[in-house]
Amino acid sequence: MSDDRDQRSGRPGGRAGAGGGADKGGRRGFFRRRRVCKFCVEKIDYINYKDVKLLTPFIPERGKIQPRRISGVCATHQRALQTAIKRARQVALIPYVTE
Amino acid sequence: MSTTRQYELIYITPPETTEDALAELHQQVQSVVERFGGTIERTEPWGRRRLAYEIGRHREGIYVLEVINGPGALTAELDRRLRVFDTVLRHLIVRTDDELAVAERARLRRKAAMMQRRVRRGLPPEPTEQERQPREDDDDDDAMFRMGGGR
Repeated sequence: MSDDRDQRSGRPGGRAGAGGGADKGGRRGFFRRRRVCKFCVEKIDYINYKDVKLLTPFIPERGKIQPRRISGVCATHQRALQTAIKRARQVALIPYVTE
Repeated sequence: MSTTRQYELIYITPPETTEDALAELHQQVQSVVERFGGTIERTEPWGRRRLAYEIGRHREGIYVLEVINGPGALTAELDRRLRVFDTVLRHLIVRTDDELAVAERARLRRKAAMMQRRVRRGLPPEPTEQERQPREDDDDDDAMFRMGGGR
């Protein structure tokens, strides 16, 4: 029993290196996990739909709106971003879909 | 004529639209706005732009942005009129005054919070020019120091 325990305790110790590496990157081994809202950091209060340059980083190739969990945008700004993107789509500044 | 609000009208015409036709369209918009007692604050012709997707065979369009001050009833009429014109591929009317007010409030709130923090730290509420400049220099110095240490 005691040997068993030693082994067990030994294992996590051995894994600690890998675990530490994962910790450095994030929870699930993704190493791009910086949770900062771009709009909060840059103090952008009004997300203008005419500013295509501002919106494009949040539109992956497919043309969908990037989810918050990936972009790290805060809820308030994601809402504003969402309306801005939808408006921009209406006036053909941004595509609805891209094949 | 109730409360005055600010709207942004943006419309797209086909790329081959002539200057005259654009002027005519602008005139039409202006007449509608004036009939409702509103004013056009400014007009921004963006010129030819690639469309993000085709609108009825067109790949390009001429964009015009108009900032309008006026009552809300105006938008319904403008919307109806613009839908009728076949020279207008697409249009969008957005109310902007409330959104800009929200943004302004957020900015003021942040500024007030900053001033409070500064007062608590015993600093004058407004950061002075001198205060900003040396701090940037400090950053540079640190970077240089770190590089020197690495060597």
